[in-house]
Amino acid sequence: MTNSTSTGHNADDSIISIEDLSFSYDIGKTNTLRNISLKIPEGRVTSFIGPSGCGKSTLLRCLNRMNDLVETSRITGGRIEILGQDINAPDVDVIELRKHVGMLFQKYNPFPKSIYENVAYGLRVQGVRRMDILDQAVEESLRKAALWLEVKDRLDASALELSGGQQQRLCIARTIAVKPRIILMDEPCSALDPIATARIEELISELQDDFTIVIVTHNMQQAARVSDQTAFFYLGELVEYADTTTIFGNPKAKQTEDYISGRFG
Amino acid sequence: MPHILRNYDEDLSALKDSVVEMGTMALAAIEKALKGLASRDSDLCYDVVEQDEIIDQQEKKIDELGMAILLRFNPVASDLRHVLSSINICRSLERIGDHAVNVAKRARKVIRSSELDETRLLEPLFAEARKIVSVALTAYSDVDEAMAHEVIKMDQKVDEIHKSLGKSLSQRISEGGCDTEALLNVIFISRSLERIGDLAVNIAEDVVFSTSAEDIRHT
Repeated sequence: MTNSTSTGHNADDSIISIEDLSFSYDIGKTNTLRNISLKIPEGRVTSFIGPSGCGKSTLLRCLNRMNDLVETSRITGGRIEILGQDINAPDVDVIELRKHVGMLFQKYNPFPKSIYENVAYGLRVQGVRRMDILDQAVEESLRKAALWLEVKDRLDASALELSGGQQQRLCIARTIAVKPRIILMDEPCSALDPIATARIEELISELQDDFTIVIVTHNMQQAARVSDQTAFFYLGELVEYADTTTIFGNPKAKQTEDYISGRFG
Repeated sequence: MPHILRNYDEDLSALKDSVVEMGTMALAAIEKALKGLASRDSDLCYDVVEQDEIIDQQEKKIDELGMAILLRFNPVASDLRHVLSSINICRSLERIGDHAVNVAKRARKVIRSSELDETRLLEPLFAEARKIVSVALTAYSDVDEAMAHEVIKMDQKVDEIHKSLGKSLSQRISEGGCDTEALLNVIFISRSLERIGDLAVNIAEDVVFSTSAEDIRHT
C-alpha cells in the first residue's frame, strides 16, 4: 500500500484508526478485506474509491458494525478504533456506537412519517420528550442540512412528498439530529440529478466543520470535489491513501493512476 | 450567478486574484526598470532583476491553483476557458517579467556609460508598454472583451514607435562618433519593450477566448 506522508495531518488528528483489518462475509472463505490500515482524521472528508467489489462499502459498513446484520460475517484480523475505543470489543453497545457513527445510504430512505417526525425520530428513541427541545433540534438539524427554508411551512407534510434531493437532505438532517461525531455516506448522490448532487456536495463541505465524514463513491469527480483525503481500494486491499490532490494529481501507485484515468475498472 | 459549490467559486476567484496580483508585479517591474534608467539608478535596476524570482514563484502558485481546479471541479464551458486562459496569461506575465529584467540589465549597462540623450527616446515606448499591459490586465479582471480588442490595436502604436526608434538609432550608429555599445543596448531595450507589447496582445487574445470562446490567435 502506498501511504503518502503528505496527507496534511498527523496521526494524532485521527478519529478512526483501522489497523491491519481483514474481514470475511463467510468465515473460512476468502477475505473480502485484507490487511487494511488507515487513519481517518477528525473534521475532514475522506473518500473511499475503487471498482465494484473492491471492498470500499464493506469497510464503510465495518465502521458502525452494519455488517453485524450478516450472520456469517466476521472480522478475521486486526481492529478498528473510534475515539480510541475498539468498536468490536465484547462490551461495546452497538446502538450507542451508531449514535456516534451515523449513516446515509445510496437510496434515500425517510420514514413514512412527517418531515418533523423524521428528524425528531432519533431523539424520541433516545427518550427526549420535551417539545421545546425537539422543536429546536428539528429546526437546527434542518438548517444544517440546508432544508429548513424549503420545508419550514410544511413540517407536518409527509416526507415522501419531498423531491429525491430533498429526501436525501432530510435523511442528513435525521442523521445529524442525534449529533453523531462521524457520518458515513454510502454513494449518497447516486440516485440524484446533477443539481441535487451539487447541493448535497455543498452540504458535505459545510458539515465538515462539525462532523467527520467518510464517503464511498463511484464518482471520482465527486471524490475530487468533496474530499480532503482519498483512499483507493482494489480487490479488498488498500492500494493508496493520500491527500485528494495527490491521488488525482500525482498518484504514487500505478494501479491508482490506471483506475482514475480510466485504463481499467 | 454563483455555483452551488461555494468552494468552486472561491477557488476560481483565488485564481483570478492571483493572476491580477502577478500582473501588478509585472507592471511594477516595468515601471521600476524605467525609473532606474531615467534616474540612472543602478540599484533600482538591480531590484528588478532580484525581484523577478517573486514573479516566477507566483507563476508556479497559479499553475498549482489552476491544476487543483481542473482536477477537483472538472470545469466546463466559460469556467474551463477562464482556467485555461488564466494559466496562459500567467505564462505571458512571467515572460513580461523576464523582459523587464532584460530591460533592467541593459539599463545598468547604459548607466555605466556617460549620459546618453538617446535614452530619452525610450520614454514614449516605456509609456506605451506600461499602458498596454495595464489595459490588458484590466480587460482580464473586468472580463471586458471590447477592451481586449483595444489592446490589439494599441500594439500597432508600440510597434511603430519601436520601428522608428530602431531606424533613428541605427542611423546614429552608422554616422559614427557615438557610444555604439550604449546605443545597441538602447536598441535592445526597445526590442524588449516591443516584445512586452506582443505579450500584452497574447493576454488580450486569451481574454477574448475566455469571454467569447473565439480563438483570434494567428488571424
